[in-house]
Amino acid sequence: MTTLLLIIHGLLAVALLGVVTHQAIGVLLPAAKAPASFLDRMRSVSASSYVTAVVVLYIGTAILGAVIYPEYRLGVRVVLEQLALSKANGAFELKEHFAAIGLGMLPAYAFFWRQPLDEKYARARAVTTATLAFIVWWSFFVGHILNNIRGFGS
Amino acid sequence: MTPSSTRGTFAMVFMVVYAVAYAIAVENNYALFTYHPATGEFGPLVQAAREGPAMYWYGWMTSAAIAASIAAGIASSLPHGVQRFWSGWSWAFPIAAMVLFGYLLRGFFMR
Repeated sequence: MTTLLLIIHGLLAVALLGVVTHQAIGVLLPAAKAPASFLDRMRSVSASSYVTAVVVLYIGTAILGAVIYPEYRLGVRVVLEQLALSKANGAFELKEHFAAIGLGMLPAYAFFWRQPLDEKYARARAVTTATLAFIVWWSFFVGHILNNIRGFGS
Repeated sequence: MTPSSTRGTFAMVFMVVYAVAYAIAVENNYALFTYHPATGEFGPLVQAAREGPAMYWYGWMTSAAIAASIAAGIASSLPHGVQRFWSGWSWAFPIAAMVLFGYLLRGFFMR
């Protein structure tokens, strides 16, 4: 059951990664001209259309992460400590705290992106989105690396 | 105050207070409850480990969320709340909290 939840957690994380990365690129590096290349098309996405997806996917991924966390605490962290893999252990500690802080950012993130967009929140919109993107990328990398060190059920 | 500015004040103050309260809760272990994963039991406030490790993360988040909700509720009920609040605080505090955790956990990366 935990393995299934971990896979769903990973799939939601992949979707969230794609959505928040598109939005971050769209708000931080908006395309100035008509899109011609693949990169231009990524930059010219309508960033505001991703807000609901980011919020829903973030909460869903966080809930599943919280559900399988005890399994990590009992079956994975102990092994990391026995193997003296302190960097991997520390990276997960950071992931735990970053993810929690990201949850607290969601109400303001959604407010900054509410329609019609308010120009006075342009910087807050960009920084909040970039911060969430960083949290998601960090969490994804750390989760992936730890799963490679010791996957569930091993 | 319009509903939109009330929501904005609530959201921005929530973000600031949540980040600060979460950092304080972690640093001082102010968990509202403890989870014992080995036995699947919850207990109120901070409890020592028994039959395996104790988990405080859920309790820290709950403590921070309650503190942030109360502060944000009070702030959003004040007249002209959002006009007085610089929106930059709402991203500066979470980023500062993340940097703080990087500093507090540096020992893991220096061994």
